[in-house]
Amino acid sequence: MKNLTLSFILLLVMISFNSFAQANNDKFQTGVKKGLDMLKTAESPADFLKTSNYFDRIAQVETKEWLPPYYAAYANLIAGLTSKDKSLQDQYYDKALLQINQADALSAENSEIYALKGYIQYMKMSIDPQARLSFMSASKTSLGKAQALNPENPRIYLINGQNTFYTPETFGGGKVKAKPILENAVAKFAIFKPASTIAPVWGAERAKTLLAQCN
Amino acid sequence: MNANIALKNTYDGSSTDSLGKFTFSTSETGLKTIQFSALNYETDSVPVDLNNRNVTLHLTIKPSIILLETVAISAGYFIAGDGKKGAVLSALDIATTAGTNADIFAAQQTLPGAQTSFSESGLFVRGGSAAETKTYFDGMLLKSPFNATVPDQASRGRLSAFLFKGTSFSAGGYSAQYGQALSSALLLETTDLPDKTTTGISLLSVGIGVDQNIRFKNSALTIGGAYYNLGPTYQLIKQQHNYVRVPEQFSGSLQYKHKTSSTGMFKIYATYGESRLALLRDNINAPLAPNYFSNKNHNIYINSTYKAYLNSRWKLDAGLAYDQTEDTGLQSADQYHRADHMSNGKITLTNYFGKLSNFKFGAETFNTGRTESLNGLEQAYTDQLSAGFAETDLFLTEKLVLRLGARTEYSSYLQKTNLAPRSSLGLKNGRNSQLSFAYGRFYQNPEDEYLVRKALDFEIANHYILKYEINTAQRNFRIEGYYKDYNHLTKEILNDLSNSGSGYARGFELFWRDKKTIKNGDYYISYSFLDTKRNFRDFPALATPAFAAKHTAAVVYKQFMESIQTQIGATYSFASGRPYVNPNNPVYLADRTRNYNSLSLTVSHLTQLFNQFTVLYLNTNNVTGFTNVYGYQYSSDGLSRRAILPAAKRNLIVGILITIGDNTFVR
Repeated sequence: MKNLTLSFILLLVMISFNSFAQANNDKFQTGVKKGLDMLKTAESPADFLKTSNYFDRIAQVETKEWLPPYYAAYANLIAGLTSKDKSLQDQYYDKALLQINQADALSAENSEIYALKGYIQYMKMSIDPQARLSFMSASKTSLGKAQALNPENPRIYLINGQNTFYTPETFGGGKVKAKPILENAVAKFAIFKPASTIAPVWGAERAKTLLAQCN
Repeated sequence: MNANIALKNTYDGSSTDSLGKFTFSTSETGLKTIQFSALNYETDSVPVDLNNRNVTLHLTIKPSIILLETVAISAGYFIAGDGKKGAVLSALDIATTAGTNADIFAAQQTLPGAQTSFSESGLFVRGGSAAETKTYFDGMLLKSPFNATVPDQASRGRLSAFLFKGTSFSAGGYSAQYGQALSSALLLETTDLPDKTTTGISLLSVGIGVDQNIRFKNSALTIGGAYYNLGPTYQLIKQQHNYVRVPEQFSGSLQYKHKTSSTGMFKIYATYGESRLALLRDNINAPLAPNYFSNKNHNIYINSTYKAYLNSRWKLDAGLAYDQTEDTGLQSADQYHRADHMSNGKITLTNYFGKLSNFKFGAETFNTGRTESLNGLEQAYTDQLSAGFAETDLFLTEKLVLRLGARTEYSSYLQKTNLAPRSSLGLKNGRNSQLSFAYGRFYQNPEDEYLVRKALDFEIANHYILKYEINTAQRNFRIEGYYKDYNHLTKEILNDLSNSGSGYARGFELFWRDKKTIKNGDYYISYSFLDTKRNFRDFPALATPAFAAKHTAAVVYKQFMESIQTQIGATYSFASGRPYVNPNNPVYLADRTRNYNSLSLTVSHLTQLFNQFTVLYLNTNNVTGFTNVYGYQYSSDGLSRRAILPAAKRNLIVGILITIGDNTFVR
């Protein structure tokens, strides 16, 4: 009887622990989903910065999760892309690089993280191409690593295709070279299954739009 | 302004709006912490009691230290790059400046403070002679930075611009780390590890060059060779001199870099070069008997440096360098020979303290000298020059920096000691603007041609510099005024040498660079006003030297045209008339040449050749064909004269630069 009582208590404790963990996980899922909704509706650099701030707040609490700093970096990157002031863009990209490195520290050897890092590095280069050629090869290295880690990640091909699209022909870029890469991206997006409801899924539309411009 | 307001340990919070306001609601209760942060500001926090229903907070956030907005030592330094550190012209900046033919020294002449000098090698800065500007290769003094010189013509720098990630040009008031320069310091900093293994091939109308870069995991080896021959060019473009043997040059180099740790880097660079030429020069005294001049030059330069952070507070810099140059030839019927050497060892320790401040000290020693002979009669000297220096950059606040330093030198040949104080002050008086002041005392040994004759005393200059600048990422403006006095300059009276020379220089300079207004365009304008007089060398009285034009200006413009993947560049240079000696004028150096004007163009077209990244390059000097006169040489009776003219009225170089192994331009 004593044993049974003990088992029962243990069981109760376990259930409550489990449900506590479940609740906490729900909070995290809902929190990230709310942020993803913010990303969907964001239009101006200020909107993206707000979203980045929001993910940053989650990152401060969920110190073991890589998605909050990943999305914070992504939102900062888009804030830079939509901003017109070059010196601000540069600062947003710097912040994005810090955040993506933070994500990398939490989740090593993650294809999604290296893909986004390659994107940010390319944009860092684009601010002052003549003086920042080293970011070009850093971007290539990151994307190469992302591909080695998971060749099925469609975002690698989108970013690669996009970088190629915007690089002048003489530097090995141009629409002609970008087209097959983007076709590959579109194909990979079609069969891509995200790991969870909050894992990265962005980019399918962008790949289609860019591919259309290649023709 | 999008500051992030967070209720610590929760997802709750908000971002501030454009007025800095924020609101949010939370289900949390009790004593909590509000953390607030923003880009370029320091993260801070305040306690908050959430048991009250509505909480109103007034938060003030402190700006964080950002390099761009922190004051910097800047007086005398030229800032052209992204304005973060000192003065930078990148290799690509140099190569794409029209009229420079990718020569480091020619490019600096478009900057304020430097004269446009095409009849003598070197940089003539703020009234100083070429010997008063010294070149430093990774912090080590480079004794012979130029190729062999043809009479009345400037020669190119020996080293390729592409060896360096940046060249920084100081027109005065430089750090106590640099000695033996009376007027100016040109600091060259070599590139770090290349990204990839690549081969670079240059096919130019004046010669060919090949570089092989081999990249290993933590190190890289570069082997390079070049051959130049000006024969084909001289057949096409009429030269002022009549060449008996066209200039020809071979060179080879070896470079090894090793990243010894996350902060440690070892570099060694060695080069050997050889050149020959012979020519006939008009002889004003006997037009039928032109002067013969020939030169055979060979030089060796080895530079090796090591730098590393010993820990988070201490940094070590050490270097060894060796430089040897030898010239032989005939000047008319006289056989001449000249050999210069210098060995240099240097060690510097830097201690970082506080948020931004540092203290550095070090020592260096030079073994330097010259041996020269004319028809077998030889003169020589050797000097062991040892120096110690200490300097601190003290940030009193983020907006106010004070540099205090001193350098002391002992020369075994002169048997003299000197002590040179250096100081600089920077005050950030606005987000993008800064006011700077510098005072420094500078010593250097007299030129070798005097030292072989007699052990003299150090020459002295004092610099006083006041500067105001506004720098943003895309635009730079600066105005700088200065006063310099020179003492103990070498003076020659009736074949006797002494240090009784003196002089002064004063002036101001303006600079404006704009990369913003024109899309894919970049232009800068520089203007220098110089008022200087000296009584030195064989001057009979105080006079403005021949190398000092009162007004100098340059406009440099570069435009990249994406649609045709071509960069075009134009440089316009102006200098008011230079003084020259007219024996018929009782006042020494009182005559002035006509004004100097030159418009140069360069075109670089980026393309692919055999699927490799290729640049087609064209540079032409003085396209409009201005007649420029550098001075006059008078016959011994003073009745006739000969104008000293540029080597050729116009000049043209075309070339193809191919990079194999990378899509990007890596040289």
